[in-house]
Amino acid sequence: MIQLITGKVSQVPKIGKLTAIKYSLASIIVLLTACSATTINIEGSFPAPLVQKLPLTVGVYYDEAFINHSFIEINDNTGDDQYIINSGASQLELFNTMLPAVFEQVVQLDSLESASSMSDIDAVFVPAIEEFQVGLPQKTRLNVYEIWVKYNMRLAQSNGDYIADWVMTAYGKSPEETFQSVDAGVNDAANVALRDLAASFTLGFSNIPEINEWLRSQNVMQE
Amino acid sequence: MRQLTLFNPSTFPVTAFVLPFLLFLCSCTTTEIDEFRQSSTSINNADETIVILGRRQNNNYETEQSFVGCVADVVSRGDNSITVVDEQEFLDAMFPFFEPRTAPMRTGHLEQLMSMDVAAERLDEFGIEYIVWLDGITERSEQSGSISCTIGPGGGGCFGFGTWQDDSNFEAEIWHLDSQSSVGSISTDANGQSYMPAVVIPIPLIARVEANACNGLGNQLKQFINGT
Repeated sequence: MIQLITGKVSQVPKIGKLTAIKYSLASIIVLLTACSATTINIEGSFPAPLVQKLPLTVGVYYDEAFINHSFIEINDNTGDDQYIINSGASQLELFNTMLPAVFEQVVQLDSLESASSMSDIDAVFVPAIEEFQVGLPQKTRLNVYEIWVKYNMRLAQSNGDYIADWVMTAYGKSPEETFQSVDAGVNDAANVALRDLAASFTLGFSNIPEINEWLRSQNVMQE
Repeated sequence: MRQLTLFNPSTFPVTAFVLPFLLFLCSCTTTEIDEFRQSSTSINNADETIVILGRRQNNNYETEQSFVGCVADVVSRGDNSITVVDEQEFLDAMFPFFEPRTAPMRTGHLEQLMSMDVAAERLDEFGIEYIVWLDGITERSEQSGSISCTIGPGGGGCFGFGTWQDDSNFEAEIWHLDSQSSVGSISTDANGQSYMPAVVIPIPLIARVEANACNGLGNQLKQFINGT
């Protein structure tokens, strides 16, 4: 006990070791969280296209890369992962909404080999994502979030014989808004891109030359 | 006892001149509206509707949904109001025919759209008589000045002065669905100067340029479609 000139007695409170450890751990966790990449899970709902269905039964196969598609945006300054964009779930949602509106019947396949044993399947459709690009306002110096996706679409007969293999691109942008988070901006742009893909697929499918020829051979044509 | 007076000579200059001057500055927005009519228009509000859509094909900008919503609100309220179908509801119901990649750019494309039974039936369900395309943007220019804010143990505050000009340019093109033709267009050009003096706290004196453009365009559009 120390007696000061003022006559008052002061005591420094002692912090226990356990409390000090807790504070240190909390500080470390906060710092680590601030340094890690932000994960953005694309979510959205899509309207069914308003088109006449083609009288076909199509088997669709989604491989693991498509179902779990993930894109990593790198921080240009540090080289670390900045954003991890998971779009697999929303891609599945889109195709599972779009395909049943385009074809009379759609069957999801567990493997490509299983199609050969299904006699009622007219064709097998396999979508794949070849490229995925993101444009962030802080990097592009534009006031928009942008998403660009390149797909490779394959259509084959149930026995594996080639029908068509073509590339489609989808583009979406969303204006940057005040107080909007990066997650929301990227999500909005991705949803616009996915709608763009659905629009061009739905209206352009029958016009792809190899597919048009195959549809005519099957005596099937969309109006 | 000190006498309470309503009139204080020491603050009279501020209250009598500075405040009204500031309020006058706030209202400095000019709006110009031009209308071009190609044919007569009318609408039966009982069972006919319109839809207002934003153009989003341009690479450099896209018409903001908030502005489209604002114009739709103005048209659907007040005297001679018109029933307006919600933009997103229409886009979802007519998907994929009005997406940025697939939307009709000219009235000639309407013929192709109407030739598809599914699309024609859906438009008929909505009772759409007119499609209004909004195209434009609000841009900020002539930004100058700076404001610095600081905080310390004794307190904090901001000091400085900022000013900028906003310019809203929008055009509405009106298509009549039955005749598959353009019946006219309305353009609006609004600009205004905003100020932000900061004396301890920032005092925003914002010119409501886009709001004025929205109100002007919306009211003119309502009159145009009603044929008044």
